[in-house]
This record gives sequence, structure tokens and C-alpha cells, in this order.
Amino acid sequence: MAKTIRWEKDKDTALARARKEKKMVLLDFFNPG
Amino acid sequence: MGAVTYPDEKVAEFVEKYMVPIQVMFDAQPLAADFKIKWTPTVITLDEEGNEHHRTVGFLSPEEFIPSLMLGMGKAHFDREKFEAAMALFDQLLKGYPKSDAAPEAVYLLGVAQYKSSHSAKPLKEAYERLHTEYPSSEWTKRAQPYRLL
Repeated sequence: MAKTIRWEKDKDTALARARKEKKMVLLDFFNPG
Repeated sequence: MGAVTYPDEKVAEFVEKYMVPIQVMFDAQPLAADFKIKWTPTVITLDEEGNEHHRTVGFLSPEEFIPSLMLGMGKAHFDREKFEAAMALFDQLLKGYPKSDAAPEAVYLLGVAQYKSSHSAKPLKEAYERLHTEYPSSEWTKRAQPYRLL
């Protein structure tokens, strides 16, 4: 099964994960329109 | 990005393996104001403390997106003076994506990181020579021009 990106929606949650997993954060601002 | 780049399998694998992705609407507050978002797509690389190190505005194809992320990760290490980690990422980018738009900046920053690690001017001159040979029309070649005299 193909991998898909599992997006976080909350910055604090993403930063906490980044600290725990020792990763950088990719922050994407998008416009669905 | 949502239609082409993010569904790409290599992009998804890279992001899942090396980054924590967060996606928000362009007008989501307070983030949009905090990061002064004026256009989309805007993609920003943050360190684990939330500090910005790299930003792109506009569409990037899968072939350009991965090296752009690698450049951002390298810059995050570079900015925090983790030069070994930064050099490893710039080197990896240049080996895997030498023709990408991110490559010339990686050559430049690789030279600077090597200089900061070794205190020898040789890597700066080598960076200029590589830029001049491989990326003659890049803005990074112009920025490195003074190093030709070293």
C-alpha cells in the first residue's frame, strides 16, 4: 500500500512529536480553493 | 501541491521518515499572522523549537520538493552550528539531486560549513569553483564570487 502523508493539524502537537522523534517540522499553509 | 507533490510516493516516504508534517489553512490564526503568510502554497521548515530556517512560496514538483526539504533541514543544522549534520545533508542533496534548484545553495552552504569547521579558506574557493563550473547562472555563483580570490 502506498504511503500517504499523515498531517498534524496542531503546531504544539507537531513540535512535541518533533522533539520526541528528533525530526524537523514541515509546516504547509494551503488554500483549498 | 495537494494534487501532484504530496501524493507522490517518494515525497510521502521522505516526509514520513524525516519530518513531522503539519498542514493548516492559509488564514489559520495565529499561525498565519505569526509566519506572515501572504500567498500559498507556503512551505516552512521549522526546528523542534518552532524556529524557522527555510521557506518556499509557490508550487514545487516532487523532484524539486525533496531537495528543497533537504536544504531546509541542512539549514536548520547550519543555523544552529551543527556543521557536521548540515554538511551531511548538503552532500546527500548534491549526490541525489545535483540538477535541482536547491543544489547551488547547498554547494554554497556546504563550502561555508566546511570553512566554519576547518577555519581553512580552501572550501570557500572550491565552492565558488564548483558553482562557476556546474551552476554558472545561479545567484549563488554570484554570491560566492569574492571567494575566487582566496
